[in-house]
Amino acid sequence: MRKLLVLLLVLMTAVSSTACGGNSDDNQISSKNGQTTLKIWYWGEQEAPGMKSFIDKAAEVYMKENTNIKVDAVLQESDTLYSAFRSAAKAKQGPDIQYFWGGTQALEDVWMGNVAPLSDYWSKEDIDNLPLAQRSETYWDGKQWCMPFYQYGSVWGYNKELFAKAGLDANNPPRTWEEFMTTCEALKKAGITPIGMGLKDGYFGGWIISLLGQQNMNTKQELVDLIKGSDNKSYTDPENYEWITKLKEMKDKGYFNTDIMSLDLYQGQQLFDSGEAAMTINAEPYLAQLERKEGADKIGIMRTPSFGEGKMADSVGIPSQVLAITSFSKNKEEAAKFLKFLHTEDMMKLMYQEAGAVTPDKRFKDEWLNTEVDKQIMAWSKGNPEFWYQYFYPFGFESSGVNPIVQKLFAVDLAPEEAAKEFQDALKKWKNQNPELLTAFEKWKVLE
Amino acid sequence: MKYKNRLGLVVPYLYIMPAILIVTLIIVFPVVNIIVNSFFTTVGGKEVWFGINNYIMIFKDDLFWTSILNNLRLFASIPFITVFAILIAALLYDKILGWHFYQSIIFTPYILAIPVVGIVFSYILQYKGVLNTLLASIGCESLVKDWLGTPKLAIWSIVAVVVWKQIGFGVVLFLARLGSVPPVLYEAATVDGAGWWKKLIHVTLPQLATTIEFFIIINIINMLSWVFDFVFVMTGGGPVNSTYVMEYFIYQKAFAGSLVNMGEAAGVIVLIFAICIIAAESIIRKRLEDFQ
Repeated sequence: MRKLLVLLLVLMTAVSSTACGGNSDDNQISSKNGQTTLKIWYWGEQEAPGMKSFIDKAAEVYMKENTNIKVDAVLQESDTLYSAFRSAAKAKQGPDIQYFWGGTQALEDVWMGNVAPLSDYWSKEDIDNLPLAQRSETYWDGKQWCMPFYQYGSVWGYNKELFAKAGLDANNPPRTWEEFMTTCEALKKAGITPIGMGLKDGYFGGWIISLLGQQNMNTKQELVDLIKGSDNKSYTDPENYEWITKLKEMKDKGYFNTDIMSLDLYQGQQLFDSGEAAMTINAEPYLAQLERKEGADKIGIMRTPSFGEGKMADSVGIPSQVLAITSFSKNKEEAAKFLKFLHTEDMMKLMYQEAGAVTPDKRFKDEWLNTEVDKQIMAWSKGNPEFWYQYFYPFGFESSGVNPIVQKLFAVDLAPEEAAKEFQDALKKWKNQNPELLTAFEKWKVLE
Repeated sequence: MKYKNRLGLVVPYLYIMPAILIVTLIIVFPVVNIIVNSFFTTVGGKEVWFGINNYIMIFKDDLFWTSILNNLRLFASIPFITVFAILIAALLYDKILGWHFYQSIIFTPYILAIPVVGIVFSYILQYKGVLNTLLASIGCESLVKDWLGTPKLAIWSIVAVVVWKQIGFGVVLFLARLGSVPPVLYEAATVDGAGWWKKLIHVTLPQLATTIEFFIIINIINMLSWVFDFVFVMTGGGPVNSTYVMEYFIYQKAFAGSLVNMGEAAGVIVLIFAICIIAAESIIRKRLEDFQ
């Protein structure tokens, strides 16, 4: 009997220690044999094909130069990019460097305490190499939190051959809203779908609000103030929902593909690639790759035609996706050093070569660019204000407000005034459900 | 002697102790943890007491009620699944020509992975997808719809796919039970002049009673906690949030919306809901047994 009791006690102890005592301190694992493992969770292959190849090559070079470092980079899926990271962050175990979509989509994790400030590890001189527009997207409370990794100028791509077929001047795309409407009408009359897009997954909401929504604003801070509700600003103010009127006009006139509601964003964009639609909205690396494949004679880009009266009416969206050091990383110094390495001349060139992605860095040279798409976007960035609306409103507001309301505009007959009211209600709901994030958001003074 | 008696009382508990420990660690502890967390919120990475505010916010959230309604719509499919599965099983039990082949075909959807089914049906049900092309080609243009892109239709499209996938399981389950029904019951019914329908109602259904009960319970639990993949792959909760179900609501709150504690509170509500359903089923079953 004693033997049995002892056996049971041993078994219980074993079970308890397995379940509770699995000491998985990251540092112990990551510093095995005197070698530090830098874990990186990244994304980007979807909008910058070749990103994985770049990361693999960059890691190889870095490990050769730093034999005490092992870079373990894992490509993430779109759907699990945030959920996997937040689960990891809650357990305080996971990557040393995490990829985020920029702006509030990164800052929310800053506010949750999941990110360590970059400016604590980079010198002022290093930080100053980052362009102001991209810096401002993740600058909060006096600190630079994330490193702009690659920019993705988000513009309209247009098919020059289809424009010519519709009797349009392919070298002079529309600049004003009236010209844009005339262009769409001409394409439609020629039997060509003017705009190829997908709305099933909702992501188009964030894109279209970013291309149209800012046109009556003068500064980025105005949007932040609208979200805060400063001076009783509201989405129901005509200047803040004029963009909805314009979007509805496009929808009512039948300028989008008829199956927009049953296609995902990428599927809708591919209608442009296959020549089934004359225009689409897409990211710089993707459009540049398309130009390389199809030729500059066929693929052109244009800025969003302007209708607004604010200084931002002529703005161009060149947001950046970012990398950040996680607050729970045991290798913050090493992580910061690797991030700095990604902004060296060789790496900037390599990323452009492998993925067609431009590094947001003042040292990036125009002569490295080899497509008209990239050259044009670089020129716009120097002559126009930069503003990407999506990066300055709460992430949660997009999934519960922007995306479903834009879907509703297409699914039912919704008046712009009603849509604006729904935007305001969705914002109110986000504020009620996220008091902590709201407090952080209210502290936000945009670096301009 | 006294010592031995006392030991005799303790030993059985020691035998089951490992099992209790394991169950506590993998079931009781997480459930208790979720219940406790649902009364907290996270501020600056730290848990802060929040009372019942997570629950209040959930009940005020229109998406919660949309989710509940959609789960109830999914429940509404269970009678159809059950009836069709019984009818098909009864037909196959008669060993009609090629019944082995039909059985395999009907069971195939059940063994397919949900994401695969979801992606395939996403393409089939697209506005310019296979179904609408087929409808248009046979002159039924008026039936051409955006099955997943229309808010009022999307949830029913998902229900149809779930029904398609679940019927096979019911058929195989019922056929397995019918295989153990004594043939003499059917022979006696035939001698008494019973036709196919009468045999179905008076012999097959009573013999299947416990299996039907099991199948319904399994389906209720499935419709509450197994439809996430369909929604995630086919519609992502849209269009216009019209296909939210409770699982998707929890996922959106906890992960996409970074409201982990609120997601946990929603999880507790689903747990209570499931317990109520199982309790109600037990009570009904007991009363039926008493009645019989």
